[in-house]
Amino acid sequence: MKRLDIIRRAGRNLKQAKVRTLLTALAISVGAFTLTLSLAIGAGTREYFAKFLETNVNPQSLFVVADKKLVGFEGGNTGPKEYDPGAANISGSSYKTLGQSDLDKIAANKNISSVQPNYNLEATYFTYQGNSKKFTGQVGMYDKTIRGEAAAGSLPKLGTMIGADDIVVPESYLKALGIKNAKDAIGKTITVHVVQQAQTKTTEELQALYAQGGLDALTAATQGKSQDVSFKISAVAAKPATALSDNVQLNISDTRAQELADFTTQGTSQHKRYIAAIAMVKDGVKPETVKAELEKTGLTVKTARDLQGILFTVVNVVQGIVAGFGILALLASIFGIINTQYISVLERTGQIGLMKALGMSNRAIGRLFRYEAAWIGFLGAILGALGGIGLGTLLNPWISRKMSLGAGSHLLIFQPLPICLLILALVLVAIVAGWFPSRKAARLDPIEALRTE
Amino acid sequence: MIELKGVTKTYGKGGNTFTALDNINLTIPDAAVVAVVGKSGSGKSTLMHIMSGLDRPSEGSVTVSGRNLHDLKKKELDQFRAREISFIFQSFFVQGGDSCYDNVSLPLEIAGVPRSKRQQRVEKALESVELTDKTRQKAKNLSGGQKQRLAIARAIAGQPRILFADEPTGNLDSATGAVVEKLLFDYARANKATLVVVTHDQDLAAKCDIQIHVKDGRITEVKQ
Ligand SMILES: Nc1ncnc2c1ncn2[C@@H]1O[C@H](COP(=O)(O)OP(=O)(O)OP(=O)(O)O)[C@@H](O)[C@H]1O
Ligand SMILES: [Mg+2]
Repeated sequence: MKRLDIIRRAGRNLKQAKVRTLLTALAISVGAFTLTLSLAIGAGTREYFAKFLETNVNPQSLFVVADKKLVGFEGGNTGPKEYDPGAANISGSSYKTLGQSDLDKIAANKNISSVQPNYNLEATYFTYQGNSKKFTGQVGMYDKTIRGEAAAGSLPKLGTMIGADDIVVPESYLKALGIKNAKDAIGKTITVHVVQQAQTKTTEELQALYAQGGLDALTAATQGKSQDVSFKISAVAAKPATALSDNVQLNISDTRAQELADFTTQGTSQHKRYIAAIAMVKDGVKPETVKAELEKTGLTVKTARDLQGILFTVVNVVQGIVAGFGILALLASIFGIINTQYISVLERTGQIGLMKALGMSNRAIGRLFRYEAAWIGFLGAILGALGGIGLGTLLNPWISRKMSLGAGSHLLIFQPLPICLLILALVLVAIVAGWFPSRKAARLDPIEALRTE
Repeated sequence: MIELKGVTKTYGKGGNTFTALDNINLTIPDAAVVAVVGKSGSGKSTLMHIMSGLDRPSEGSVTVSGRNLHDLKKKELDQFRAREISFIFQSFFVQGGDSCYDNVSLPLEIAGVPRSKRQQRVEKALESVELTDKTRQKAKNLSGGQKQRLAIARAIAGQPRILFADEPTGNLDSATGAVVEKLLFDYARANKATLVVVTHDQDLAAKCDIQIHVKDGRITEVKQ
């Protein structure tokens, strides 16, 4: 018997049991629905992140750290470590840091155009012109490798540093500072107060100081020093449409950041040591090649594309969880198919017996029942996929608005090829489920089957 | 020609066996119209199943059109039945949800007749049982007599050389039974096909060329 004829007969047989077919297919469609959405979430978030990185991160930038724990997913909190005076402590974990020699090593690479360490800045407080209150907040170096958007004032173009005495304030700070309109902040002054720890000095040094300047000099040298540095607000950074998180620090120039970091860490183990550095690869050179060269020297380097990989890992986990639910639903529906088809075989023993008497082979009989299962799977998969696409398309504008993804960005993206493959996979799953009942049908003794009436 | 030599069929194992057919020797010539008669449980259906290759004998050999069925592989046996043999049963076994057309088309599909040639044959078969007007109707909406006529159309659509009918009129009133009888005889005579009818009906048996009487699994009498 020809395959096409079997497929047609299988389809007709299902039409004769419409309600049962539909109910069994609906069970599959739940799984298909969830899996369609999981595909859409994966595609959507991946595209969103890719777009985000493409527009915000210079592809030629390298992120360099001395400690690979800082960029991996393995947490740093793995029990006590031997004390390392040069190491930085971040929430209880100790991390290796970069020193000047590491920076020199990076800069020595002929394909590197510049190296910029991330200064470790700690401001005690800052004040805003015309406001007597003291505020605490994060102060950091302006990141010229990431494109920002200004709510007021102006930001330099990608790759250019802000002016030495400029400061960029995040939009979210305005309320606390008592600024109603972002424009009003431009040109105003912010003063950052930094403190230097008391210095430890040897007895000889202390004696020399005393001899020179008496008790005052001694007090000045051993007591904590402090410094006030003023900046002019050049821009208010808006939260961009395609940003991962709000930029929540006061951004100052690299020169000032270096000065402040050197000042506050003076005399500590952290002096001139850095958690991370950004190195720029010369245009026309592949970041991956430079990465490999630098990693040979024991540093850990991430390219912009690696960063994408890390983000994608997160996406994969989320997608995996959603897909897990879909697969669970699918597993349950497999038993639905098996059950339906078993009942169908029992109901149709007479028909099976007749077909065998007319010379239909056991293989063709088995096929007939498997194709019926395939049709059920196909119907369920189509219903589920269409349901998923329908609901996703309806919800997309709402989700985009809620998550402020920006115009034109959607969390759920339905790609035809993966969905077609999903439908195909579900048909195959249905065929596998239909295999047990189909074997029963194929093995039925025709004489016994014909005796049933 | 159908030839049975020493055919025995036993059911069960060990001490609990039942002999449904006991050393049957029988020859049915080509184009013969044969009646198999006997009481209920005498082994008529079993004999028919074995002659058609649907069942295998416990002992003995069955030769149909020069081929020993025992030597055929399962696949060859299926093909042999699909091309040369057909059946009609007491309880019609038409597929109620399918149209009459699709019911008649089934054996042609099984035999691998191409789609283009099927239509003409199906229509011809339906015409010969006078069901042309029901072609697109569902089989479950037919009366009992119409269902058996549909079963006959299905059986003859593939132009089998041998036709087995197991009590084809058993579920029908005498008038309808007579129509069905006539259709079967007409087909056999017109196509020089062998017809084997299992029946209780003495009148029907009397119209056949050969009457085989079965009792307790043995042939008691063969009337020519
Ligand atoms: N699978 C089986 N196992 C045991 N005994 C069987 C089996 N199949 C048939 N028999 C027995 O074989 C005998 C012959 O059965 P068969 O169906 O051939 O009778 P029959 O002559 O066609 O009767 P009827 O006129 O009622 O149809 C019966 O006694 C039946 O009980
Ligand atoms: Mg019988």
